[in-house]
This record gives sequence, C-alpha cells and structure tokens, in this order.
Amino acid sequence: MARISVFMAACAALVTVLLAVAPLSAQQKPPLIVGAIFVGSVNDYGYNRSMKDGLDVMKSNIPGLKLIEAENVPETAESQRIMEGMIGQGAKLIFATSFGHQQFAFNLAKTHPDVYFEHAGGWMMAPNFGNFFGNTQSAWYPMGVAAGKMTKTNTLGFVVGVPIGYALGNVNAFEMGARSVNPKAVTRVVVTGGWSDKAKEAAAANALIDQGADVVTMHVDSPATIIQTAEGRGVYSIGFQSLTARQLAPKGWITGLGFTWGPFMTQIAKSVIAGTFKSASVHEGLGQMIAIAHFGPAVPPDVRTLVMASADKVEKGFNPFTGPVTDNTGVVRIPAGQSWGGDKMGNFDWYVEGVIGKAK
Amino acid sequence: MMSALLLGVLASSIMSGTSLLFATIGEIVGERAGIVNLGLEGIMLVGAATGFAATALTGNAYLGVGAAALAGTAVNLIFAYLVVTRRANQLATGLTLMFFGLGLSALVGHPFVGTLIAGLPKFRLFGLGRMGDPLFSYDFLVYLAVPTAVAVWWLLFRTAWGLGVRAVGESPVAAVAAGLSPGRLRYQALALAGLLGGIAGAHLSLALTLTWAEGMTAGRGFIAIALVIFAKWNPLWAIAGALLFGGAESLQLQLQAAGADVSPFIMNMIPYLLTMLVLIFWGWSRQTAAPAALGRNFVGVE
Repeated sequence: MARISVFMAACAALVTVLLAVAPLSAQQKPPLIVGAIFVGSVNDYGYNRSMKDGLDVMKSNIPGLKLIEAENVPETAESQRIMEGMIGQGAKLIFATSFGHQQFAFNLAKTHPDVYFEHAGGWMMAPNFGNFFGNTQSAWYPMGVAAGKMTKTNTLGFVVGVPIGYALGNVNAFEMGARSVNPKAVTRVVVTGGWSDKAKEAAAANALIDQGADVVTMHVDSPATIIQTAEGRGVYSIGFQSLTARQLAPKGWITGLGFTWGPFMTQIAKSVIAGTFKSASVHEGLGQMIAIAHFGPAVPPDVRTLVMASADKVEKGFNPFTGPVTDNTGVVRIPAGQSWGGDKMGNFDWYVEGVIGKAK
Repeated sequence: MMSALLLGVLASSIMSGTSLLFATIGEIVGERAGIVNLGLEGIMLVGAATGFAATALTGNAYLGVGAAALAGTAVNLIFAYLVVTRRANQLATGLTLMFFGLGLSALVGHPFVGTLIAGLPKFRLFGLGRMGDPLFSYDFLVYLAVPTAVAVWWLLFRTAWGLGVRAVGESPVAAVAAGLSPGRLRYQALALAGLLGGIAGAHLSLALTLTWAEGMTAGRGFIAIALVIFAKWNPLWAIAGALLFGGAESLQLQLQAAGADVSPFIMNMIPYLLTMLVLIFWGWSRQTAAPAALGRNFVGVE
C-alpha cells in the first residue's frame, strides 16, 4: 500500500515536471536552422572568413537562429552528402558558399523542395534555389587608385589563382584605376593555376617583387600567404575577400576589398522564415556586398580622400569599362560609346593596356 | 632585367627545392632498403602540420622542426610495421598512408589555421651577398639540405650500416645469409626516411609559406618519388633533381612576372611536363639501377 502511494506520488511529480518543462522547450525551438558549407577553413583571412562573418551577422540579426557549419568541404559529391546531413538535422536553408558546390546543392534542391538553397558565384536557378555574388570588378578601380598613388616603382603586382573572366576583369579595373592617377603605372600578373596553393602563392608574390613590384595584391581564396610574403619583403599590399586581412600587414597594408554578405544573408533567412523566399540571381557591388577596408598607417590623408572619392563615384554608378578601351596588344576591345555592364564581367579574356601578362 | 630574372629564379629554386631535396633523400633511403613509400605526401603533411602547431605553441620554429621530424618518424614507423612486420602490400599501404597523413595533419593543424608565426629565422652565411639582397639569406634548413644529402650518401655508400641497407634492398635472402636482419634494417631505414620527410614538410610551413592549410604540399611528395628515379637512387643526384624541379616551378612563375608571352595554363604545366619527360627518358634505363628487391616484401628464408 505504501509502495503504491510512493509510486503514485512519483508519477504525479514527473507529470508536473513535464508539464512545467514542456512550454519552456517549445520556446527553445529555433525560428530557423541554417546549414552552411565552406570550401576551406574559415580562418583563412579570405573568402571563407567573409562567408563566416556574413553568417554570423545573419545569426545575430535573428535571435535564436541555429547555424550548422562544415569547413573544408570539397567541391565533390562529398558536399552533397554533408548538405544532406544538415537537412537531416532540420536545416531549412542551406548556403553553399563555393562555386564548385553548385551542382550538388542543385541536386538536393530537386529532391528536397521544402528546403531553400543559396549558392555563391553560379547561375543555376530553381524555385527553391537562388544564386548570389558580389560585383567586384568596378570595386577594384579605387584599389588601383590607391596602388597608383602609393607605388614608387610604378610597378604593381597581381597574383591570380585561376584566370577566369571575372578575375581578369578585376585586374583590368585595378590597372585602369592606377592609370587614372599615375599614367606610368603597370600591373604585372602571375597566375598560379589554382585558387589555393600556398607555396605557389608565396613564390608568385616573390617573383612579382623580384620584378620590381612594390604593391602586391591578389585574387585567390586566401590573401594571407601573399600579404605575409609582401610584408616580409617590405612592400605594400592590398587585400581581397575579407576585411580581416588587414591584420596580416601592420606596416605595408594600404587598403583592401572585403565581402559583406551579412545583410543579404539576413534578408534571405528572414524570407525563408516568413515563407516569402523568391529565387533570384542577386549581384550587388561596392557599398552593398563589398566594402573597402580601413587604410593602413602608411597611407597619407590625401590618398585616402582620393580613394574614397573614387569609391563614391563607383557606388554612384561609374563604370570603368566604358569605351574606348584598348587591350595590351593594341586591339580596341570596347569601342567608344559602348560599355560593358555587370552581365559581361565573365567575358574578359584580355588585359587592358598597362597590364603585363598573357590572358590565355 | 635578365639578371634580376636569373637571380630571382635561383633564389626561388633554392627555397622551393629544399623541401623537395629532404623528401627525395628520405625516399631514397627507404627505397634503397627495398621499400617504396607512396605515402610520402602524407608524411610531409604530418611534418608540416606538426611543425606549425609546435611553433605556434612554443614560439620557437626550431622546436617546430624537431617536432616535425619526430612526427614524420613516428608515422613512417607505423608504415614500417605494416609493410615489414605484417608484410602488407607496399603500394597499397603507401597510398593508405597518404590518406592517413592527409587526415591526421588536418586534425593536428585545425586549431592553428590562421595563426601567425614568425617562422624560421633567415641569416647570411659567411657574409655572402650584399646587404638587403634577397639571395643568400636563408633559414638553416636550406643551408643543411646539401650537407644532409652528402651525409646520407656517405651513410649509404661508406658505412657498414648503409651497406647492410643496400644489401637488403638488393637481396634480402643474401642479407640474411650474411648475418643481417632485413626487418631491423628496414625499420631503421624507414625511421630515417620519416625523419627527413617530416623535415621536408616543416620547411613548407615554417619557411616557405608561414601558414598551415590542409593538403598544402599539393603533390610535392609524389614529385619527390619521381625525383628518386631521376636521381638513380643516389642522394647526390637528388640535389640536381630537386634544384631542377624547384627551378622549373620558380622559373614559370618568374617568367610570368617578367611578362612572357606564353599562356599561363601552359606555364603552370611546365614542372609536371618536366617530371613526365624525366620519367620517360630517364626512367627507361634507370629501371636497372633500381634496388633489385624494391617493392617486394621479404617473407623469410626457408
């Protein structure tokens, strides 16, 4: 008799506790679970860091949002497996942050119509699959202005990972910006053949510096190795991908470009929560998805003013790729009266006058 | 203009050839004992990651090199256990070792990605070069590379131990008849190979790039394996091979910077084309120069 009453009391206590806890755990349910995959490490002071920072901004803007991340996800079918695992954990929005993840994310979009996907740097579209990237080319113009003013040897160095049209466009805008303030400035280009090969990037930076470059910049996944090499050799550097790269060159940093994905990612996450997701190909430029980094200590105030004025021009719509534009073999590529808009940025297979290098 | 190019290529070749030389010498020692280690890439990665981690933790890059050497030795001893004691197939085990090294190095290096280190200090030797000249100012591993090659040559060809190792690589049965222990000598050879491979990796992360990133050796371990053939399994020839390949990579980057009118895609292929040519033209006759028992496991005498 006594044992039964103890048992009943225990049951009553258990039920009370469960009832008390139940509404609490209902409050704990996150408004959205977001999955994100990175092709490399987020500690790269580069592309992956910029993606991570954007996701953190999104997370801080939506209280309770849960973020599942996976670094060093290769651009192979493995990525599909990893994204599928995130969906299994309840993710309703997946950010596939590297170009090579596109097909695999797209495959999952077809088999999971209730999950939304945002891919960086591609073109595929579906009702639950969108694409986004920053229009970097015109943003490089003010970087060229900075380099053109700071260089003493009139030789600038640019390390390119893979010579795709967008990367060549970056080099071209850079050189045009430099020429606009320094008609004698030339840009030497070295292609390493891959987006991330540290030893080659160090050797490439050294090669450019050996050829007289005193300002070095890059379009690779992580600017870290190149900036550190430049700093070690005592030359200036201009960063790309992430604003955090500035920390790597306390003396030689001039300025840099960094992606600011946060507002866009927040907007997408909010649209998924509200059920208003619209598939789109979103490309934003300087002032939206791209920002200019703080200047380094070596940059004098007049150069800073010049660079910011140039950036302002770009944000207000200035397009450096307005004809006539001649390439470095003398051929007119953009005739007078024409200009190349954002949709043509992938079409570059030539370098402008003043760039020393072979495009293909 | 031309001299700037040549000096630049030379300086860059010496820098990138150093880690190749250490790796090649290590592989030569192992292959002279009859063991082909396809996992050299994994050993180098473990060395690079461990060296970087140790340097980040202690602030002393020399300790980092020591840690890398120990780590390389330890991992190669695992390989030794598998192919010598357990008599596993050398080629398959080697490739497995490569993946193991890839994963282990990623694990070890993960907390340190993005860490900034000072790296190995550079200094001039015997007052060579003008002040401020990038040439002739290197870290201690660069200066030690050629002496190490000579030392290993001397070890293999002028000592009793080296004779024993080479005997095991030619004919383990004959070695047993001479009273040697093939198993023990192979273990020792692989330990040395691991030590040198670990140092090779450390030079990449502590001197060349001052970073750690997964898979950062980018195939250099396999280039070293090809260079062993080019070097006719002789550490002295390996010096030329490492400089040649290091030079090829530096040359194409320097030529690009100088404005060569060649497609960058072709330029980036140059080091690998060179390796293929080396293997085609030199590999032919050098097959006979390989240790006779290379790649074959010794299961004992009846």
